[in-house]
Amino acid sequence: MIVAGCDVGSLSAEAVLLEEGAILGSEIILVRPTAEQSARDVMEKLLGRLSLSYDDIEFAVATGYGRETIPFADANLSEISCHAKGAHFLVPGIRTVIDVGGQDCKAIRVGTDGGVEDFVMNDKCAAGTGRSLELNSEALGVEVSELGPVSLEAKEAIVITSQCSIFTELEIMHLLMEGRSTADIAAGINQAMSRRVKMLAGRVGIKKDVGITGGVSKNVGVVKMLGEMLNVEFVGFPEDPQIMGALGAALFAAEKAPQ
Amino acid sequence: MYAGCDLGAVTARVVIIEDGAIVSSETMPYKKLPVQAAVEAFEKALSKANLSQDQIDYCVATGFGKKAVPYANADSAEVVCLNRAFRLLNTDVRTVIDAGGQSMRAINFNEKGKVLDSTVNEKCAAGTGRFIEVMAKALELPIGEVSALAFESKDPVAITSQCGVFAESEVITYVNGGRDRADIVAGIARSVAAKVSSLVRRISLEEKVAMVGGVALNAGVRKYVEDDLGVKLADLEADPQVYGALGAALVAREKHGLADS
Repeated sequence: MIVAGCDVGSLSAEAVLLEEGAILGSEIILVRPTAEQSARDVMEKLLGRLSLSYDDIEFAVATGYGRETIPFADANLSEISCHAKGAHFLVPGIRTVIDVGGQDCKAIRVGTDGGVEDFVMNDKCAAGTGRSLELNSEALGVEVSELGPVSLEAKEAIVITSQCSIFTELEIMHLLMEGRSTADIAAGINQAMSRRVKMLAGRVGIKKDVGITGGVSKNVGVVKMLGEMLNVEFVGFPEDPQIMGALGAALFAAEKAPQ
Repeated sequence: MYAGCDLGAVTARVVIIEDGAIVSSETMPYKKLPVQAAVEAFEKALSKANLSQDQIDYCVATGFGKKAVPYANADSAEVVCLNRAFRLLNTDVRTVIDAGGQSMRAINFNEKGKVLDSTVNEKCAAGTGRFIEVMAKALELPIGEVSALAFESKDPVAITSQCGVFAESEVITYVNGGRDRADIVAGIARSVAAKVSSLVRRISLEEKVAMVGGVALNAGVRKYVEDDLGVKLADLEADPQVYGALGAALVAREKHGLADS
């Protein structure tokens, strides 16, 4: 029996197919103008690659912010539940997932059964999300993908005093005018980011093992600083953690499918 | 003669007083160099009234850059300066909203001028002049036009994010969607007013209510603040931007008196 999970976010869409509890395949695309089209495109790309069709799917679950408009989904669930479920499947000992995306940041405490024990989320303020790293790196004149590596060359992390991403932009310009080094400012930006994420994650209570996902997990500077602040070593994932939501949705599909 | 300098996050303002009346004032917006702006504003205010610096007996600085004003003899808190200014002008005002470039505060005082309560936001750009500036840039309009244009709107857009970064994305989406600029400007004004009003509601709102600071120049925001709070904002006896500097000059007069005795 084949089941499917599909996660349509604000930036990317993912699809996962499962067969008898094992991952058959997964696919990631950048979003299209509508959630419906993103879902179709990512699922059809995956089905095509595996020479399958919609008829082969027994049950499909959708998640993500576009989950209610997915035409082929039999049910939909919140991304929090799906993330927890997917994370537990990939790393059974995981108890906390920190997900820092482009426009939000969430921390989920996962139960030993993969259920959600608790979670906190910030999607109201750009500080502590990937968007603030984008804005800050632009002010610094560094590609956002370089912010991590550049920060590792810092002698000291300069404290960024403003919280608001709009105010930090000016603060960074002033630091550059004062002749402070790009690496030291980059380290300061990553430190401010790590502090925000630590504050949020602290509210849900950190339990080991801890995993970090989302675009910001690709910034080595933030991962290193946040790990030190929380006194944890983040676990590695056997698959691209970006598929976690879709994977969790597919696992729910397997449970919900008529036997 | 006494001088007050209010060095804000985007503007430097200087007021010179003699016998409790304004003899000269100057407002200087700046982009990068606050100290230089404070110096230039002082020089211009002096030359406007044909004065030289040694004729100033005492000078007090206030605002975000109050410690950095090189010619000031002392500095004083924003709340104190605003309080002094409203004891001289608009004396019937009990609640002051100061909406500046990077911060926003609300103050409530009793009929004797004693400060009863105050609150401040300087952490978040929402509701500040910087927010309006970011949106003006997204609209490709000069900031001065993101004001009265609001009155031409019949159907203001809804800006759902409070965060300036996320609101900017919303504004860009509206611009790309071909929405009428007046509707977008009105939506922005309404969003700023909502944030200002929610700050004011944290303290007791007593009439009359006055709005000062750079954002008070925005007629659209003023209108929505009046709607939100259900009050009419007081007509001001001076430029809404100089109340802080005027208060600082009044504090200078008080401090100088103390230094004499």
